[in-house]
Amino acid sequence: MRSSTIRTAPSHFARALQYTSPGLIRCPRPCIVAKWLQSRSLTTATAHEAIPLRKHLKDEAKRKKADAKRDGNTASTKPGGDPRLEKWELTVGIEIHAELNTASKLFSSAPAEVLESDNGGTANSRVAMFDAALPGTQPQFQVATLLPALRAAIAFGCEVQRQSGWDRKHYFHWDQPNGYQITQYYQPFAKDGCLVLDASDGVPALDMQGADRLRIGIKQIQMEQDTAKTTNVGSSTYHVDLNRAGVPLIEIITLPHIHSPQTAAAVVRKIQAVLKSVSSCVIGMELGGLRADVNVSVRERGTSGVGSSYSGVSGLGQRTEIKNLSSFKAVEDAIIAERNRQITVLEAGGVIEGETRGWTLGATETTRLRGKEGEVDYRYMPDADLPPLVIGQDLVEHLTSTLPTLPDELQQELQDEYNDAKTLIDLDSGDRLDFFLRTVHSVTAELGMSSQAQIGKMVGNWVLHELGGLLTTHQRSWDDVRVTADELKNILLCLHRKQITTRVAKQLLADLFQRAPAPAARPSVEQLIETGNLRLRPLSEEEYRDLARRIMEESPEMVKAVREKGQKGKVMWFVGQMVRQGEEGTVEPEKAKAVIESLMGG
Amino acid sequence: MLQHPHQLNALVHDGSATTAGTVEDPSPPGALSGRLIAIKDNIATRDSPTTAASNALTGYTSPFDATVVKLLRQHGATISAKTNLDEFGMGSHSQHSHFAPVLGPYIRNGVPLSPGGSSGGSAVAVATGQCWAALGTDTGGSVRLPAAFTGTVGFKPSYGVMSRWGVIQYANSMDTVGILARNVEDAGRVFRCLDAYDGQDPTSLSVSVRERAARRQPLARGLRIGVPIEYNIVGLAPAVRSAYTRTLGSLQDHGHSLHPVSLPTTRQALSAYYVLAPAEASSNLAKYDGTRYGFRTQGTDASPKSGLPLYARTRGEGFGEEVKRRILLGAYTLSSDAIDNYFIQAQKVRRLVQRDFDGVFTRLNPLLDSDVTMGAGVREEQGVDVLLTPTAPTLPPTVEEVKLQSSVESYMNDVFTVPASLAGLPVISVPVKLSGQGKEVVEEPDVQSVGMQLMGQFGDDQLVLQAAAILEQLDC
Repeated sequence: MRSSTIRTAPSHFARALQYTSPGLIRCPRPCIVAKWLQSRSLTTATAHEAIPLRKHLKDEAKRKKADAKRDGNTASTKPGGDPRLEKWELTVGIEIHAELNTASKLFSSAPAEVLESDNGGTANSRVAMFDAALPGTQPQFQVATLLPALRAAIAFGCEVQRQSGWDRKHYFHWDQPNGYQITQYYQPFAKDGCLVLDASDGVPALDMQGADRLRIGIKQIQMEQDTAKTTNVGSSTYHVDLNRAGVPLIEIITLPHIHSPQTAAAVVRKIQAVLKSVSSCVIGMELGGLRADVNVSVRERGTSGVGSSYSGVSGLGQRTEIKNLSSFKAVEDAIIAERNRQITVLEAGGVIEGETRGWTLGATETTRLRGKEGEVDYRYMPDADLPPLVIGQDLVEHLTSTLPTLPDELQQELQDEYNDAKTLIDLDSGDRLDFFLRTVHSVTAELGMSSQAQIGKMVGNWVLHELGGLLTTHQRSWDDVRVTADELKNILLCLHRKQITTRVAKQLLADLFQRAPAPAARPSVEQLIETGNLRLRPLSEEEYRDLARRIMEESPEMVKAVREKGQKGKVMWFVGQMVRQGEEGTVEPEKAKAVIESLMGG
Repeated sequence: MLQHPHQLNALVHDGSATTAGTVEDPSPPGALSGRLIAIKDNIATRDSPTTAASNALTGYTSPFDATVVKLLRQHGATISAKTNLDEFGMGSHSQHSHFAPVLGPYIRNGVPLSPGGSSGGSAVAVATGQCWAALGTDTGGSVRLPAAFTGTVGFKPSYGVMSRWGVIQYANSMDTVGILARNVEDAGRVFRCLDAYDGQDPTSLSVSVRERAARRQPLARGLRIGVPIEYNIVGLAPAVRSAYTRTLGSLQDHGHSLHPVSLPTTRQALSAYYVLAPAEASSNLAKYDGTRYGFRTQGTDASPKSGLPLYARTRGEGFGEEVKRRILLGAYTLSSDAIDNYFIQAQKVRRLVQRDFDGVFTRLNPLLDSDVTMGAGVREEQGVDVLLTPTAPTLPPTVEEVKLQSSVESYMNDVFTVPASLAGLPVISVPVKLSGQGKEVVEEPDVQSVGMQLMGQFGDDQLVLQAAAILEQLDC
């Protein structure tokens, strides 16, 4: 973690941009993951240790597990499982609120994030006078908060608007100190982007309709203020914490291009992954960094519903909105429940009311929060205190050229370079890939770049199979792996230089695998080889023959099998015996095999 | 003046100073050293409460000084008191105060006259010598009208020239801090101390615009004075009309030229103002919910059992009738069904009002990049430097008459002051004698002067002050 001094909000754009200057970027590892870290220096906030890709993959892994479980449990989620879905088509549009990765709030210099020293964030400790809506205070746009918002807009291929504006959205709630939220209702800063998904993102084949990729339009992205956090204490008391009040959010509004609950969840997941990859957001949905509202409607296939339209898409059924979904599963399950409810109502001859509904995790039905008559009229009005937001093309170009690699691109790059990349990516939510890349890098540094592909193959083999085998044998998860990339590097270097046999190398790995992790004392690979007397001491040709003859004499049946029955495979049994019975670290299998074969033939 | 100044309810809180006319405590040297300045109670001060004369802010003391207050202190002034006003600045007669109505210093038939509003407390404090000068706020005439009704000078600078940080918003696209003083020179002296960019106010004019505005050549000739024909309304009181005509004549006698000009959108300006100001008010006053500071109703204010919406009790009890009226009006004109017909239309009118003004001045609006209304040469030859109109169409009514007025009648008082507010122009109200020399038409305790209003192009604050000094010295 960086020191808190860096967290001071840059009050001036020139200072904000300083963080992007290459001279200030520390570049620990020239591998692809490091590119991510490097790009993170763009951020105006603390550089988190978390690697976005890893987080992304972790989420993916969790999802796959959850998918597998669900597919096993509830057949009704499959389109084929419910005959009613052949008649009714679902349409979904999503609004995602994501907390921007910024040092300060949107309109005050109060810190947007918990300080290290702040013990988890004392309530109401990060509140500027404007955040508390004190009389006579005014908003001061913190220009640095624009950077992560712009990176997101660029990552989604949006058209960044040269001029946008700030509007007040009015409603009374104790989480809204000013009585209104400042947002970009009339003129958002980014429009007309898109999100591309494929099967690997979790889009069901049915939704792909034979294409490789599914394109979901993004109508607009706007910046806005977050609300305060309120906690219910007792029956009629709420505690209000203004620390979150005024923290910058972006709201991403997709077009109603989504036709299955699974795809809706995939869209939210992918949006989160992209936001993390460009460092726009660092807090995931599981920690409240992202929240989703979904608009759900159904129409009879081949019809134009009741002719409703929104976001420029028409011919839809009447939609309802489900607010404040805070997990991927909630997005998917809430849509399933709401879709089923709407179909049931329609099949019974009923009419869907335009209303706002809620969903709690684990519920099987959405619940009505308020109908049209209870809708709040937000009375959107331009905020006369705030000048229009003008974004120069030069800034957009600068951010575009320095944008970190997006998840899809990264996967492609890795796959081009290493055969095993795809498998590694899928394992242990990217931790394995990270370990692999670090090992490859350090081995390559010792042996020279020319053999990178070969080294990649060797390291991949050890990371995938040897370490993988140990994990299985000891029933451990990757998080418990104590072997460091540096230790594996040293083992592999010894092996490569023929200082130890493969068997010894595996033994060393197994040894280190079981030892207590640092800070407990861990012997170096070199020490283990010395104390175990494991260094390869090549036997003479005669010693090999003596050893082979002794074993052949002990097992006449096996000799017979090879010589008379021609069971050539049994040769390897002898090789194994020689390695086992020979003194540790002396028998090289290739040589042993040659000796056995010559003796058998003789 | 019959009543003792302290019975006029002009002051609501003591400031940091002694109440004596002379100041013995040492104050920092500066242009305002030793001067007692009173502050309208909707401008934040650290050392005394700031309530905007509203029950909603009962007992509230701001943790910070407004930038204008800070600047006054820095220039040596002593903040003598906080002054009474119409609650949150909403009113034209300073009668809508949670404390008590402000009484003007003049009396007609035994009844006090209206001091004008909403900065009535500041104007009365200046008129009665309770301070040397005072700050008010002017959203639609709230400094100029009290100046006109109390015989003082009231200056509203261009929008954005003086900082609003710490000024409680009413309609923030028009809110302007203003100065009340006994003469133009004093008003100018206070103004020069407060004319500064403030990074805490996002609407503060940038240094570059200030520089552009300051580049104006000083006048080397007589003033070209515009006389807007639309201000010659039927409702203009004869006494006001005669003082106006006399003033115009006197200016001409002194070598200044008069030019009839047309500002066709003037008629719609008042309606537009009373759509826009309440709309902004309904938004700006949404923060007074009793949760974090200020008044809060007894018991719960969020229980669905009470059958009332959230905060209904606190806000219902916290705000006075006029404030509630404007909040409701504003909430309606912003509602999705009404916004197109009211708020949007009013914004269009506002733009036309501004364009009207831009079309008559010799000087181009420094906020505009190019001249769309006139060629450069034409502007110099045919434009005017300032516009002169009465500040209000009538003399101050008595407070009893005010009570009988409907809201709309009361709003009519602002018909001459509102256009300059919509356009953000610098404007000053200067008192001229009610009658010509030697003529005595009113009794002694009644008002002796009429407010005349000089409006200038945006950014021409200094020129407006210059013109006001000329007007002040006329012996008409």
